[in-house]
Amino acid sequence: MAPVIALPTLQFADSAASSTCSLNSCRAGTRVTVVDIECSGDEACRLRALGFCEGTSVNVIDARDAMLLEVRGTRLALGAALTAGITVRPFQARA
Amino acid sequence: MSTLQRPTSPPAAPPSATDALRVAIIGNPNTGKTTLFNALTGLRQHVGNFAGVTVERVEGAFKGPDGRRVTVLDLPGSYSLSAGSPDERIALEVLLGRSADRWRPDVVLVVVDAVHLERNLFLTSQVIELGLPVVVALNQIDAAQTEGIRFDIPELIHELGVPIVPTVAKRGEGLEPLKRALLTAATLPAPTRAFALPAQAQAALAPLEACLVADGLLPVAAGMEALRLLGIQHREVHLADVNGLGEAVSTASTALREAGFVPARFESEVRYAWIAQVIDRTVTRPLVGAANLSDKIDRFALHRVWGPLIFLVLMALVFQSVFSWATPLMDGIEALIALAGGAVGARLPEGDLRSLIVDGVFAGVGSVLVFLPQIAILFAFIGLLEHSGYMARAAFLMDRVMRRVGLHGKSFIPMLSGYACAVPGIMATRTIEDPKDRLATIMVVPLMSCSARLPVYTLLIGAFVPPIVLVPGLTLQGATMLIMYLLGTVVALGVAAIFKRTLLKGPVRPMILELPPYRWPSLKSLGVSVVQRCQLFLQRAGTVILSLSIVLWAMATYPKATLDPALPEAARQEQQLEYSVLGRIGHGIEPLVRPLGYDWKIGVSIAASFAAREVFVSTMGTIYGVGGDADDGDAALTQRLVSEKDPVTGKPVYTPLIAVSLMVFYVFALMCISTTAVTVREAGGGRIGWQWATLQFVYMLALAYGAAWLVYVIGQALGFGG
Repeated sequence: MAPVIALPTLQFADSAASSTCSLNSCRAGTRVTVVDIECSGDEACRLRALGFCEGTSVNVIDARDAMLLEVRGTRLALGAALTAGITVRPFQARA
Repeated sequence: MSTLQRPTSPPAAPPSATDALRVAIIGNPNTGKTTLFNALTGLRQHVGNFAGVTVERVEGAFKGPDGRRVTVLDLPGSYSLSAGSPDERIALEVLLGRSADRWRPDVVLVVVDAVHLERNLFLTSQVIELGLPVVVALNQIDAAQTEGIRFDIPELIHELGVPIVPTVAKRGEGLEPLKRALLTAATLPAPTRAFALPAQAQAALAPLEACLVADGLLPVAAGMEALRLLGIQHREVHLADVNGLGEAVSTASTALREAGFVPARFESEVRYAWIAQVIDRTVTRPLVGAANLSDKIDRFALHRVWGPLIFLVLMALVFQSVFSWATPLMDGIEALIALAGGAVGARLPEGDLRSLIVDGVFAGVGSVLVFLPQIAILFAFIGLLEHSGYMARAAFLMDRVMRRVGLHGKSFIPMLSGYACAVPGIMATRTIEDPKDRLATIMVVPLMSCSARLPVYTLLIGAFVPPIVLVPGLTLQGATMLIMYLLGTVVALGVAAIFKRTLLKGPVRPMILELPPYRWPSLKSLGVSVVQRCQLFLQRAGTVILSLSIVLWAMATYPKATLDPALPEAARQEQQLEYSVLGRIGHGIEPLVRPLGYDWKIGVSIAASFAAREVFVSTMGTIYGVGGDADDGDAALTQRLVSEKDPVTGKPVYTPLIAVSLMVFYVFALMCISTTAVTVREAGGGRIGWQWATLQFVYMLALAYGAAWLVYVIGQALGFGG
């Protein structure tokens, strides 16, 4: 029998809610954890398939109109309309 | 047999050793999937469309080590089976044996990028759960090793439960073991889901899965489909057309929520949780990754100032090379055709047959064939940009510009493909999810100067623009070409903005774009795709243009005028041309094109090129081949145009101003029957499709006429009348 998958999700439910912010307010060089994705279901579905889901650690490589992110070793470019609706919790700020 | 049929349909016969083995290749974009496909099948490929849709369908074949024939279908690149785009939907339908053409794979080959294994395993885990025999190609293993990434492959095989073969597709490494694995995969036990859901979640989903099994899905595939249905927005776009499915999904969602899970996130959470375990057990990577080469390149390529500048320089380089590198090859082809035409002509008796062969067939087809080098070079560059990973950067850089006109960066790739040909460009809009964005992109793609316009530009630039060196490496000729391309591009953006603000009003979909690492492209794969594109072009030159050339020749030759033998040869031929059907049509059109400064010969050529714009050049070839002096019959068409004099005034017929006005006309005019056909289908088919296609044709013709007229009038006012 294959092992049952333990889900890490519910750990975040109320931890450090005060330290969250929206992804588009993060500066280049920040490392963040995705807390919540708020956008149309289609886009959320695509983001999750690309490995950008709740609980994922993301590096902000470049922040301009659109954002350049490192997600699971890949580089993703996300438009401003999306990054505004994504809530994240910063790990640390290098700058 | 592990198929996904409904119970009512007869069971499929097991494949015997003599049947061809059917393999479907699937993988994320940028995994080297197509390179692997090209490496496996070489040039034994057939390009078509999936039945009923215009997603390109490329099928190839190879002979297995045991002599068995293997046919391979290259499925569109997909990040998941969630069917967000038409491409992904096609992939899912084929894998489930539910595509319109009933093609069903015996084995699925999943190509994964070793460097990005984590992300690639999402799709892999979905495919494994379809219950079909699966082989995984762990591709670009060399790049992973360079980055210091190591794999425990036996453990990975154990975790996934399917054969895994490391490959380097662009160097052809690992192909033989891969072929053997494909041939034996069907004899292995069918793969199943490699993890188990939490018990409460499993219980919540059980009724939904039962509902899907009742529709004929295998239990394992029902599990996959159930997870998928929880996350997707458009439940009407699913594969099982079961009664009460919507309710079953709602019930399962509610039950799942009560058990403490978030349904929309559930699939990605369980899969990535499993993937994290697998990666943890099977992959070791260096603790501190130095900034890799791609990041270093991107610091320039995506720089706020340097990025757009590099992009512009690259584009200028491409167009300059298309123009200058192709010249010796084109001269060679021209000489060969003239030689062949002369040799064939010499064996034929003087008369209409000889004229048909030499002036109709050879001159007509030859003047289009001559542009093959340019098309090959342009496609090679576009392939190079795509395979190297730069194309996605271009889309990222262009996103801001595209957003301003109401589109997003993704529309840029179809538009860039439009530089080669509007047909694949329009087909590439399938990667745009929003229907209004797609339609707006489709409407403007044909404004991008395609390779079929090259013959027109080249002919006119070659004849009327002097090769003055502006800066080292760029001549006035190259610059003129660049300006024509920029003109089309800028107007395309403007028109898109108008469409998005009027007929196709709607919100702009945000950009989600992967920037793949820069890679050296595989020359073999690049070669295969260039040859493929050239073949498609030649098929057109060989069919549409050949038949049009013959029709045009006949129209230029009949009816025969009774001519005064005392007149000089050239004058007699001129009179014959004017007397012919073509001449009469030309004179009929003349009042329409006169305001643009064109004479009846240009009018004829424009009229003849309504079905395919490159016919303009072959028509000019036919007209001047027929109307020309027998002694200099094989003088280049450019020479003829420059020396052409008005018989009354003695002034040159073609001035540089008219050449520019003609080029501008062709920048905007939609004269391509294939583009119209593809627009009809892609814009929705049937009456709606025709309405959009008609609108496209009419607005572009109006734009062409207006702009050419403006150029002519303003040019004359400025004293460039000649």
